[in-house]
This record gives sequence, C-alpha cells and structure tokens, in this order.
Amino acid sequence: MAMSDIPRNGFMIVLTIIAAMLLMMVPLPEAARFFRPEWVVLTLMYWAMALPHRVSIGVGWLSGLIMDVMMGGTLGVMAFSYAFAVYLIARFHLQLRQYPLWQQALTIFSVVLLVHFVSVMAGRPEMSWVVWMPVVTSTLMWPVIYPLLRKIRRTFQVS
Amino acid sequence: MLLAVLASLAVFFLDSRLDYFKPVRSVLSTVVYPLQATASMPSNFVDWVGEFFQDREQLREQITVLNASNKLQSLRLQKMQALERENMRLRELLGSSFRLQERVQVAELLTVDLDPFSQQVIIDKGENFGVYVGQPVLDAHGVMGQVTETSYLSSRVVLLTDPSHSIPVQINRNGLRAVVTGRGLGETLKMDFLPHNADVRAGDQLVTSGLGGRFPVGYPVGKVVSVEFPQGKAFADIKVAPAANLSTSRELMLVLPGEKIRTEPTVDTPAASEATATVSPAASEASSTLSDSNGEDNAGEPADGNE
Repeated sequence: MAMSDIPRNGFMIVLTIIAAMLLMMVPLPEAARFFRPEWVVLTLMYWAMALPHRVSIGVGWLSGLIMDVMMGGTLGVMAFSYAFAVYLIARFHLQLRQYPLWQQALTIFSVVLLVHFVSVMAGRPEMSWVVWMPVVTSTLMWPVIYPLLRKIRRTFQVS
Repeated sequence: MLLAVLASLAVFFLDSRLDYFKPVRSVLSTVVYPLQATASMPSNFVDWVGEFFQDREQLREQITVLNASNKLQSLRLQKMQALERENMRLRELLGSSFRLQERVQVAELLTVDLDPFSQQVIIDKGENFGVYVGQPVLDAHGVMGQVTETSYLSSRVVLLTDPSHSIPVQINRNGLRAVVTGRGLGETLKMDFLPHNADVRAGDQLVTSGLGGRFPVGYPVGKVVSVEFPQGKAFADIKVAPAANLSTSRELMLVLPGEKIRTEPTVDTPAASEATATVSPAASEASSTLSDSNGEDNAGEPADGNE
C-alpha cells in the first residue's frame, strides 16, 4: 500500500494492543477462565485489516513474543502464530473490508482457529473440548471489537 | 513472512535447547512485569475496598478467632521447641548430621491469569530478593511447588499439580519413600512406582523426604486419598490430595537456603534476619523474615524437663 500520507497517532495502535494484553491477564472467575477470547489476536487482526501498512508482520511477531514471555510458554510459539495471523489478514485485507460483518467473523473464526491450533500443538498433554472455547468466544467478540476499534481509529484519526 | 518464520524458529530453538538464553528471557520478563502488575491491579483494588468496608462486628469476630488460633499455635510451638531440642541432642549422640535450619521469606501472588492449562503462578519477588531457580515454595499448610524462572522483579512458580513436576516424599507413618507427581488441572497428585505389596493406606500423611536436596525435610505434601491395585499393572494406583491450598493461597513462603544450626549458634539468626529486613524496609507486606526459632540461643540452659 503506497499511501503517501504520514503516519499519525500510531501510539493509539500500541495502546490498544497493550490494553488487549492486559485483558488477556486480568483474572477471571474460575468458570470463565476457559472462555477468554484471544484479545490480542483480534486487535492485531483489526489493525492489519484497516492499516496493513502500519501493523505489519513484525508488529504481530513482537506482540506474540511478549505474550510468550508473559504466559511462560516456549518463546517463539505465539510469536509465530500471531505473525502468521497478521500475514493472512494483510494478504486479504482488501477483500475482507468489503465483507459484511458476519462473513468477516467467519474468516476471523478460521484464522483464530489456526492461531489457537499452533499454541495447542505446542504444549498441553491433556486435550479436551474446552481447549477450543477461546476460538468460539473470539469469533463472537468480533462484532463488538470491530466497531469499537473503528470508532477509536476514526476518533483519533489514526493512519 | 519468511523472516518472521525464521526468527520464530530461531528463538524457539534457542529457548528450548540452549541454557544461556535464560538471561535474555529473564530480562524480557522484567520488561513485561509492569504489564503484569497493572493487570493484577483491579482485583487487588477490589480486595482493598472489601477490606476497607469490613464492619466492626466482622473484625471483632476475626480477632477472636485469630487469638484463639494463636494461643493454640503457641502452645504447640512450646512443645515443638522442646522436641526439637531433644531431637538435636539425640542426633548429636548418634553423630549424624545436624538438621538444617530453614528461614522463609514471604512473597505475594500476583493475581494474573496465565494459560489455564499450565499450573504456574507468578510471585512478586525476584532476583532483587535473592530468589533463585529451584527454590522451594510453601504456604501455610504445606509445599506448593518450586521456582522455575526468575527475573529481576518477579518469578514464576510451578505448582505441585503440574504434570512435569515431581517431588520426593516419605510416608509419615512408616518412612516409606516415594515420588509424587502432578497430573494437571484440578486433578489429584499420584504416587508413582510403588509395587502392589507396598504399605500404603488411604489417610497416610506424606511429607518431603529431603532426598534430591531441593526441598527441605519434613514439610507436609499431601494425604493419600485412595489406593488401588489395578489387575495386570505392575504398580499400585495411588491418589494424593495436596496439603497446600494451591488455588486459594495468596501469601506464599520462599524457603531460603538452610544453614547449619550449630556452626554459629548465637550470631546466626538475628544477623541473618536483619540482613533480609534491611533489603525490604516496607516490612508489613513486602517481606518479613520468619525464622523458626529453634531456641538455639538458650540451648545451654538445662531448662528441659527430660534431662
């Protein structure tokens, strides 16, 4: 994307990603723990779709690495899957923008499924159906996240 | 994209295969600590508000309960001191090695949710308080786990219930030694590799055996819940309930490396506790050093009744 305009208010992007990271760690009641949406992936995907020239694979990779450190998994696992998610979305961002929200959500579903698949494969000996719950909740959260971040982008004129 | 894949693979390899990548990870954890601290703020705030608005009646009740339990504990401690001194004397007579004295440092749990499928917690003490990898962690009821990773401000503790964690134990009743391994999320622990004729019963108390040199001797680990002998299997199937409150404890205790009691009887404890106290001026919550007073200062007194 050869947009000639200068980057503006890039800190808002960083701020939303950080907020998403906090949401990943805020303690939830025991029953809700397995239903936590993948906030960071959702945020990254929104920015990759809206401003692919700003949020690149590198940003995705870096936030993945930070998540790896925070969650205590093997370094590089989430870094890889986040970068991959950003790549997929950025590759198809023009089509995705045209889709209605529910169709976007379906795409989001498959991408989050991929991301989650990588991190599930990376560890966890015991497998049960709860492992996949974040994929479902993430998809359900997309219709909320998308307008919210769009509002933020327009209000602060992030570009 | 290719670059990201390569970088991921490189980091992945470095982290899992090479040991000298540890410091890098430790630095990264330190950088991330503010984020974690922020994430734990809401729940800390809720706790604080709850405490603030506790009414008088509740507080009174609490004080009565605490007083009662304090009396009971100190009564037990009196007996314990006498017993410990007796034990020391007997060991001296036997010429065996002296028991190590342990000091503990209080750490607080950072209320942060990690991957719900791994049994790890983060505590608010790190290398700045001398926390080291492999340090045993206890709570008020028993062993919780051990430190797996340290950074400057925080460290990560793996709990007994983690499938990758094992701890050497012995049965209080008959001294039978065994290894207890975690089984993950919400499951009981299991006791491995005991043959069918092993003398284990439901209700047996397990304490650390001190073999392996990582955990100190004699701290409660758990209680045997059920013993089964499945047909056609070489080993018994023994389930153990952990003694520590793994999911609810907020204050943990880090066991500092033991020192021999008799090397410097009088200087040892006060100096050491002062040293740790100066590290943390905010004594009330940051860190207070408890040392189990073995009464070694008055070890010369013929005060025991059984002399």
